[in-house]
Amino acid sequence: MVSINYATREVTCKIVYYGPGLSGKTTNLIYVHKKVPPTTRGKLISLATEADRTLYFDFLPINIGAINGFAAKFQLYTVPGQVYYNATRKLVLRGTDGLVFVADSQAEKMDENIESLTNLKENLEEYGYDLKEIPIVIQYNKRDLPGILSVAELDAKLNPLGWKSFGAEAVSGKGVFDTLKMIIKLVLEKAKTSRSTSSPARESAPVAERAAEEGAVGPAAAAYAASPTASGPIIEPSPASAGEPPQVRQPVYEAGKNEPVDEDVETSNEESVEYNTLDEERMAQSVGHPDGLSEPSPSDDVTSVEQTIPVSPEEKSQRPYPGSTTSRILRRERRITVSDFQPAAREEELMGFKSRMSAEDKRFDMVNTPDLPTPSMAPSQRLIRKKPGFFKRLFGIK
Amino acid sequence: MNDDSLIIYEEEIEKIDSILARLLKGAEAKCALMVDKDGHLITRQGFTHSLDTTALAALLAGSFASTKEIARLVGESEFSVLFHQGKKDHIHMSLVGDRSIMAVIFDDRTTIGMVRLYAKETAVELGRIFASLKARARTEGSGLSDEFAASAGNKLDDIFQD
Repeated sequence: MVSINYATREVTCKIVYYGPGLSGKTTNLIYVHKKVPPTTRGKLISLATEADRTLYFDFLPINIGAINGFAAKFQLYTVPGQVYYNATRKLVLRGTDGLVFVADSQAEKMDENIESLTNLKENLEEYGYDLKEIPIVIQYNKRDLPGILSVAELDAKLNPLGWKSFGAEAVSGKGVFDTLKMIIKLVLEKAKTSRSTSSPARESAPVAERAAEEGAVGPAAAAYAASPTASGPIIEPSPASAGEPPQVRQPVYEAGKNEPVDEDVETSNEESVEYNTLDEERMAQSVGHPDGLSEPSPSDDVTSVEQTIPVSPEEKSQRPYPGSTTSRILRRERRITVSDFQPAAREEELMGFKSRMSAEDKRFDMVNTPDLPTPSMAPSQRLIRKKPGFFKRLFGIK
Repeated sequence: MNDDSLIIYEEEIEKIDSILARLLKGAEAKCALMVDKDGHLITRQGFTHSLDTTALAALLAGSFASTKEIARLVGESEFSVLFHQGKKDHIHMSLVGDRSIMAVIFDDRTTIGMVRLYAKETAVELGRIFASLKARARTEGSGLSDEFAASAGNKLDDIFQD
């Protein structure tokens, strides 16, 4: 599906290189990446195994520059070729605008070509695409190897629909650009012909406006209260399926101090790298505001999280969660001392703390913090009375 | 298949951007990206200058797609929220409408709870905008002019030279 963005004035198309394993799909992309000017292309990303076999996809964005005021961008993807990677191969096909089928010209690989082509047809059908509708270019790769079939033979076996075909040697680059140019042309042609012919009257404007009004008028609280029902596709897995208690990664606090300790310590304490979605959902449920509180304050939120997490009292005193009741008490008890004003970083950290306080905290803070000297009130040089005749003595004037 | 092309108009992007900016401010996150499930970047907000957002969009969409497949295997239709935790930066992804993904990148200045809370709210709001966008695209058409393909053809020869 061609994506047209009127805000950034970009047209983006997705082109997928499909074909059997080791037919040279990634090699095609590598060649394009090597030969195209760096200003035109982005980074080539390859999600490959250690043996350089594509595991998920390779991705190369190309920007061919402004055409009629729109920047034309093409995203080139390859699929993993091996038969058993069909699950990920199918995912890459989603939303494709055009396909390049890279076939291996060697006679012994013909079965693999046919198998891959059949698989392509099946996968496209699952997305509701028709092999006859979608722009496809077929590339007969490895023309430099011995034991290859002629283009006419390959066409007869693989190309019954009469797609445009090119012979290629992806390693040396022969035929790579011809294939790419052709598929880009076909994709753009297709985008033009498939353009909706319905009247461009702006009937939809009121719809959009209405939706916008709803969005603007409906306060956040209302949206939040309505969210369990309104957010149709959001699925809440059943709490029963959740296993261990949720691990929340938070800065580690030491008992006396009110600043996070070293990063290394922090990470070594926390083993969980990947956050479990189920746990997270469960946490959200336990955190949820059953009566749809207006403007749920963050401190309420985290407090209830803390209650749900089994923490030993000892541990609790050592590692309060920021924003939890314990940490709030620590924060209140903390008095600003002169040393706070010395390093600039310390002050910045303090500002960070203050900006994160909830309204309630701030009030509390103002009431309980006595008027302490601020930097501007520190003894100023101007106030130190100089002895009369300072300059005279300085310059030795009698 | 081209009937459901992703077409984004300026007015909607402005709205989406302002909603995302509000999310960033509220949740104190670093940046937010709106990505189409096909891997196209829709818009971005916050400190994204140091990021390769095009590649990020493609990879986020890929990650979401593969998680969907995992969900299917365990008997769920889709996981609507994904969270990646790093040493410093974390990514929270949530589904918006039926075909967009909102990714919020944040660090330890805020908490996952805050991000989740705001993301949930924002996803509902954005969902409405995307629904109206879809309706609008259907009536107004893609707007690719006839000469677009022809002009592109000339340009291709300049760029793709062996």
